[in-house]
Amino acid sequence: MKSQLRLPFYLTFKYLQRGNVWTLLLTSFMMTVAFVNAIFVSALFNGIVVGSNQQIIDTYTGNIYVAPKDGEDYIKNGDMLVANLEDISGVSVASSRTVIPGQLEYKSIHGNWQILAIDPEQESRVTNVADKMIDGQYLNPDDENGIIIGRQIAGGDGVEENAFSFKGAHAGEKVDLILNGQRTQFTIRGIFYTKFLESDKKAYVTKKALTKLIPGVNDNSTMVAIRTANNVSENSTIEKIKASGVTENIFRWDEVAGTMKAVSTSFTSINALMTLVAIMMAAVTVFIVIYVDIVNKRKQIGILRAIGIRPYIIISSYVIMAAVYSIIGVALGTAAYYLILVPYFNTHPFVLPICDAVLHLKYVDYLARAEAVMWVSAFSGLIPASLVVRAKMLNAILGR
Amino acid sequence: MEPIVACKNLFKVYHSGGSSVKAVNDLIVSVNQGEFVMITGRNGSGKSTLLHLLALLDQPDKGEVFVLNEPTSHLSEAKKMDFRLRQLGYIFQEYALIAELSALENVMLPSMMLNTSQVAKKKALDILDKLELSNKLNRLPSELSGGEQQRVAIARALINDPKVIFADEPTANLDTVSSKHILEIFKALNEKENITIIMVTHEPEELFYASRQIKLSDGRLA
Repeated sequence: MKSQLRLPFYLTFKYLQRGNVWTLLLTSFMMTVAFVNAIFVSALFNGIVVGSNQQIIDTYTGNIYVAPKDGEDYIKNGDMLVANLEDISGVSVASSRTVIPGQLEYKSIHGNWQILAIDPEQESRVTNVADKMIDGQYLNPDDENGIIIGRQIAGGDGVEENAFSFKGAHAGEKVDLILNGQRTQFTIRGIFYTKFLESDKKAYVTKKALTKLIPGVNDNSTMVAIRTANNVSENSTIEKIKASGVTENIFRWDEVAGTMKAVSTSFTSINALMTLVAIMMAAVTVFIVIYVDIVNKRKQIGILRAIGIRPYIIISSYVIMAAVYSIIGVALGTAAYYLILVPYFNTHPFVLPICDAVLHLKYVDYLARAEAVMWVSAFSGLIPASLVVRAKMLNAILGR
Repeated sequence: MEPIVACKNLFKVYHSGGSSVKAVNDLIVSVNQGEFVMITGRNGSGKSTLLHLLALLDQPDKGEVFVLNEPTSHLSEAKKMDFRLRQLGYIFQEYALIAELSALENVMLPSMMLNTSQVAKKKALDILDKLELSNKLNRLPSELSGGEQQRVAIARALINDPKVIFADEPTANLDTVSSKHILEIFKALNEKENITIIMVTHEPEELFYASRQIKLSDGRLA
């Protein structure tokens, strides 16, 4: 009996050892392609979701976002709050901002965009806007009449919302800030392009400029963006902030992500659907490849039955063989993914309007897809082998 | 003497393109232990069909096949498989060896169903030695001549010490020398080891080796 249990493994080993090497290579290749297809789709959509989420964090909200208490317009003593927050474990850096309720005008084109007063140094530690300048330069903390504007405000050829922009403003040009009917001229110091549409529709001036415009505003902020330390949970940091006595409204970045949250959710749904399709395609591919292989061995299966080899041994040997094919496919697919695709797309990301997406595969997704391919393969071995074993023995042997 | 293989009122009909052919038509045959029986007849006379039915490789439409005095029509496929494994050996015209297994491994395979691989290997080595294949143990079927492949097939049929060996035109694809060699092996197995041999042949000169002939015509005894 023990010997019987070893027989399927023995037969599988011999088939693989002495079978047609091209069949083995082709089948393994097909399994590899099927597996890579299954993980690639998932990794791409995850990459877009992760990339766009990171864009929100990197260009606007930080990981945690503090807003005024309900019923209040400002966070009082914003800079003191920033200093206090930065002492809390888990908080890396923070930046306070004040929204200016004004209007911008450039060559008789005017529009309402969000204008934020910031401490440029503080802000550059929380967001990466300072690194995204495509024209001119970032703000100097002492600048009292400079402004930086996003690409969607500056406009120009190829800009997504050019119709609603300045249609081609450049660094060094003048723009008016109209606040409570009072017009103040600012110089465009630079134009930034974060690739995140919402961030590119914002403009920044320094807090010094704001104090000059509205002397009474002092240290009143309308929001504080917080960057957490690496690998620190946002939720646990929020709890620590609350425990420190901060009574303002505190949100995780995705709670204030606005339309991007809906986009992200949509991508996650599309990802699930596309992954399902990819796994079904992998299933069909694997099934066809193994089915053809087994049907070609119909005569051999008939001979094994004729000489007294039990059907469960014959079926098991093909199930094991299909499992071996799938293990080879998963192994080669994993190698191709991590050694070829990931490095390639890290240097050549997918350029999308919302972010530059790279492949991002979750460990759980990888395991789920590897498991799916292996189960499908096992069934792909089981079903045709069972059908052939059930067919009339003589017909199988004599090729009828 | 008790018949070792027999059939009673055996029918097998093949249907093809709206017509039906009675390949075996109300046959009564009995083979005693130790006999070397050759089934002869023209093409389409039902020789191979009868052999398949007697060897439990096929199911009759009507009638009964007895093996070792046991009626087999009621037996499950698993039980018939067990009969084939332990009591019967079958040799195909085209050798029917497993292409990925060496000569030794092909012979060991049925024995591995009943024994450890060490025991199976020892038995296979003994039989292959008797059939003068000791120097071809690790050759794949594709590396053997037709006569050698058929001897490997005979060794495989013998590995579980069967009481009856069925052979379907085992020399049809062989040259005269190889054919003679195979028939002498059968003769020796029959005479020295008292193994019953039931063989289908087309060649009248092969009847010289048989102890009895069953001649068929249109599925009946001629």
